[in-house]
Amino acid sequence: MLTQKLPAVQSFLPLVSRRVGHLSSRRYDVIVVGGGHAGTEAAAAAARVGADTLLVTQKIHTVGALSCNPSLGGVGKGHLVREIDALDGLCGRAGDWAGIHFSILNRSKGPAVWGPRAQLDRQRYREFIQSELLSTPRLTVLEGSVEELLVTEPNPDEPGRHRVTGIRLADGSQPISAASVVLTTGTFLSGSLFVGQTTSPGGRIGDAPSGAGLTHTLRERLGLKVGRLRTGTPPRIVKHSVDLSLATLHPPDSRPTPFSFMNTRTRCEPEEQLPCHLTLTTPGVERIVRESLHLNCHIQQDTKGPRYCPSIESRVMRFPGRSHQVWLEPEGVTSDLLYPQGLSMTMPPDAQLRLIREIPPMRRAEIHTPGYGVQYDFVCPTQLSPSLQVKNTQGLFLAGQINGTTGYEEAAAQGLWAGLNGARRSLSMPPAALSRTESYIGVLIDDLVSRGVTEPYRMFTSRAEFRTSLRPDNADLRLTPKGFELGCVLSPRYQEAVRVESSLREAMAALQAVRLSTTSWRKMLPDIGVSDNKSSLMTGMEILQYKDASFEMLASVFPETLSAYMEFSQRLKIEAVYKPHCDLNRREIERIQKEENMSLPQDIDYVSLPVSLSLEVREILERARPSTLGAATRLEGMTPAAIVALFNYVHFTEKQEKTMQRNQRNQKEDRDEDLCSTNVSLPR
Amino acid sequence: MLPLRSVYGGIFRAAIRKLQTSRSPCLHRLLSTRDGLQVGLADADTIFALSSGHGRCGVAVVRVSGPASATALRRMVGLTHRLPPPRTALLRSITDPCSKEVLDRGLVLWFPAPHSFTGEDSVEFHIHGGPAVTTAVLQALGSVPGMRPAEAGEFTRRAFQAGKLDLTEVEGLGDLIHAETEAQRRQALRQMSGELGRLYQDWSHKLKRCLAHVEAFIDFSEDELIEDGVLERVDRSVCDLQAEVKQHLKDERRGERLRCGVQVVIAGATNAGKSSLLNTLCQRPAAIVSPIAGTTRDVVETALDIGGFPVLLSDTAGLRDSSDLVEQEGVRRARERVHQADLTLLVVDSTRLPSDVQQAADFLSDHLRTVLPSLKQPETEKCLLVLNKTDLLPEAQTQKLQQELRRVSGLPAVCLISCQTNEGLKDFLTVLQSSVKTLCGDPLCGAPTLTQARHRAHLQQCAAALAQYQRYRDADLALAAEGVRLALTSLGRITGRVGAEEILDIIFKDFCIGK
Repeated sequence: MLTQKLPAVQSFLPLVSRRVGHLSSRRYDVIVVGGGHAGTEAAAAAARVGADTLLVTQKIHTVGALSCNPSLGGVGKGHLVREIDALDGLCGRAGDWAGIHFSILNRSKGPAVWGPRAQLDRQRYREFIQSELLSTPRLTVLEGSVEELLVTEPNPDEPGRHRVTGIRLADGSQPISAASVVLTTGTFLSGSLFVGQTTSPGGRIGDAPSGAGLTHTLRERLGLKVGRLRTGTPPRIVKHSVDLSLATLHPPDSRPTPFSFMNTRTRCEPEEQLPCHLTLTTPGVERIVRESLHLNCHIQQDTKGPRYCPSIESRVMRFPGRSHQVWLEPEGVTSDLLYPQGLSMTMPPDAQLRLIREIPPMRRAEIHTPGYGVQYDFVCPTQLSPSLQVKNTQGLFLAGQINGTTGYEEAAAQGLWAGLNGARRSLSMPPAALSRTESYIGVLIDDLVSRGVTEPYRMFTSRAEFRTSLRPDNADLRLTPKGFELGCVLSPRYQEAVRVESSLREAMAALQAVRLSTTSWRKMLPDIGVSDNKSSLMTGMEILQYKDASFEMLASVFPETLSAYMEFSQRLKIEAVYKPHCDLNRREIERIQKEENMSLPQDIDYVSLPVSLSLEVREILERARPSTLGAATRLEGMTPAAIVALFNYVHFTEKQEKTMQRNQRNQKEDRDEDLCSTNVSLPR
Repeated sequence: MLPLRSVYGGIFRAAIRKLQTSRSPCLHRLLSTRDGLQVGLADADTIFALSSGHGRCGVAVVRVSGPASATALRRMVGLTHRLPPPRTALLRSITDPCSKEVLDRGLVLWFPAPHSFTGEDSVEFHIHGGPAVTTAVLQALGSVPGMRPAEAGEFTRRAFQAGKLDLTEVEGLGDLIHAETEAQRRQALRQMSGELGRLYQDWSHKLKRCLAHVEAFIDFSEDELIEDGVLERVDRSVCDLQAEVKQHLKDERRGERLRCGVQVVIAGATNAGKSSLLNTLCQRPAAIVSPIAGTTRDVVETALDIGGFPVLLSDTAGLRDSSDLVEQEGVRRARERVHQADLTLLVVDSTRLPSDVQQAADFLSDHLRTVLPSLKQPETEKCLLVLNKTDLLPEAQTQKLQQELRRVSGLPAVCLISCQTNEGLKDFLTVLQSSVKTLCGDPLCGAPTLTQARHRAHLQQCAAALAQYQRYRDADLALAAEGVRLALTSLGRITGRVGAEEILDIIFKDFCIGK
């Protein structure tokens, strides 16, 4: 069932009415700056944890806007959506609400790499996110432009370490204070827009550029290292001007699979879904790219763009003389626009029009909005801790494109994690970390903070070492209980996860309990090809591992023990097939988790550390400042000897501190006793 | 390595106890992951290694530790059920469990847990020294299920984990592991620069492409134009690779003979008398000697016996900047050799030393730094300074240098000799012999058998992982890809680790990813 009911459209009005003057408070636990995918997840997560949260956005009506492609999920990205949903985030449920074309990518390649994906209706997506934020307790949304981030001078005891105290808005009103501030400003940090030879400041067409004050605080006051990246978006095409009969039809899955663990169906009925179309570029496209190259400053500039999702210009330059795919995607049920995925471009608008008309279905196409490029600053994410807090500024969290990533799902994942940690900090709870052994979110964050980025970072399944264990189907088992413990998962979802977990466990025990000889199995299930060279008994679990075996088959043979679990037939099949591989992974996973549980103090001076470390290793450690021993072992150039030395050092100092504390306590007690005796001996 | 000890002795002892009880298993595992040379396998494995030195020694000791020790013992000495009494030497025939061929006759000792060096079930084989027997025994052990060659410092780590090491031994652990990994690194470098190395690198390269193409197919084929036949090409590559690896494992004669012995390299500036030293040491004119600087251009190798220990002595081209292409290559090879050496004999023309002793010492330190930039202060035993041509110095100056340079700290041992008159040669040989002896005491140094056994283990894992690809190719590509990943990891333990980024680089080089 689709659990989410949207309130009537009228109820959006109060959201809009929350202007500065109406703010009931000038003090919050958490302030989130930015209303994109990172910002909305951050604000919602912080509020779920229990923090009084303020979301500040330039325009309330663009909160939850899909500023680029009208789609969610995919291979790797779909994994992230499932994990965000397992942590009670918004985007999975929003996708189920707004999806108009659902498909599972990689259906034939094994459940570990299935990529749930959907084309979205932009308006429905925005509606869902806005109504969800509005109905979230403890969350206030405010329209305004942040002019300045307020930070303290460094504490003399901790040189170079600042603390966030709040923000100041551009309208000159009084500052708003908060213990944690989450910045999710996307491409707005020193952003510039490019079309042809025109350049203008800004992070997205139609929006005012962000205040320069924020950039100044980050770069000058906090001394954060920034880099520059570029991205782009394609022109939007008027739908009725395109002859879709000349393109290949790509229908959606006949039965939509919801993103969310809480939904059993999507808002869109199967037959209401819209198709996508696929077409190919022609040599004429390449010709126009080359002709217009001298008019294209975005492409000429030396800024790092991604190797994936590149502009059509860089695609034809890097792989000349061949056809490139262009997907024509619907923008919504009522929208009159098409999104040409793969045609991101920054040439002058007249050249853009000539270019798209070189592609057969678009011979007579009209452009609604031209494509453009964006160049923007990102903060080198190695300056963050795994909680996404800036290492040298307590209470300042960064999430999304500001950390050098690309993609809605990557942004949303970080937003959720930063919001959760911002709230935990404001409520005096210890920071939470996710390991790369348990989630794609953990892989994403670990890659960012320990390795940094050289091009916009996007999730791929090949980045996850434990891909066979981190599957989209089991994200709830992996993350929901943990999320509940951390405070970002609400009770209904937790109850559901507990129910699923215990049912799966019971079902697997029941499957293990069914033990028969291979002869009996062959007689009972002749079609699955049970091999006859095994002399021992085989369990139902082992039978389920056969390619052609299904849980339904087994349940039909043993209805009394198994039919109660039909709801989980697909999940049980996947569990059975992957179990041997996950068991193999487990030892390695446990080892890494133990290393990650050993944190290294952030104030260690590696240069003068009194242990035997080579100068080389000291430099590596000083530069990378790993937050755990696990992160240290993954650094290039680390030696086992250095790891032993670090391990010993950390243990001895911990021990030493405890002893000192004990001694101090003892001394204090001694002193107290002295005082008592003094009192007694004093003549009255 | 732990200066804290003197100050916080008690704390230290308590912490050690804590380490040995609660946290030490994870320390053990920590130590066992790192780069390609080490394997991150958990404690359940049974490990084996040659624990004695090598060279011409009467007895070699092979140690086994871990749960499968008893199985190994039974299989190797043909016991059916009863194990020998604990800690009692037993004379038995040692046979290959597969071929049943008798490999040697020697002593076996059974140490049941916890009364062993590592605290685990352990077995010792005392067999006849000599490479043929030890290699055969090590390879036979490798064929017992659940057994693998020990990694650097692994026996010590297990002992540490079981609380069998005392305080001073724990302090030395880091240094020990450093020394052993260094020895392995040099060993690996030597092998990787040869024929075999090229073969493994080639396999690794092919596997990387296979993995990149499978990964590209998984991550991008739904949205992108991944041309037809990508997976079919991978299938063929995997099939060919598997056949090659298996053939390689079967054919013992293939590949080059590994160079045995302690690697001693003679290095220094041109015309210092390096080739003369080589000829003097091997007592025959193995290398051409002339007064012309730059006479030796290639590496000249001679196998020698120094005090009963096998030594591979290499003479190298004089180190200088040259415009001659042939000589440049010679200098490059010389530097490469020095990098791989167990012991470097740095030859200096003593007539070119400043007459003031302090200045001479500074000159030598500088010289050392330019020739051996990687040599660290505590490793001075890996180098001997040979001051040649003392016949051209006044007697008094020779005496003075001899006495004073010994007192200079931070310099390796200094020997003054004359290859012309053989003056000082006897003292030099004594020093050289003791260095070689120390180096031979380290079972890892110069022993190719261990590396060979390790390579075999990893190659077997590699072949098995490729079979996983084939098994799952049609049913589940994610699990099939896992097979290629595992194969690459196993091979990476020989050739060096391969990171995810490297695979992504290949993907983006080979495919146009547009979405």
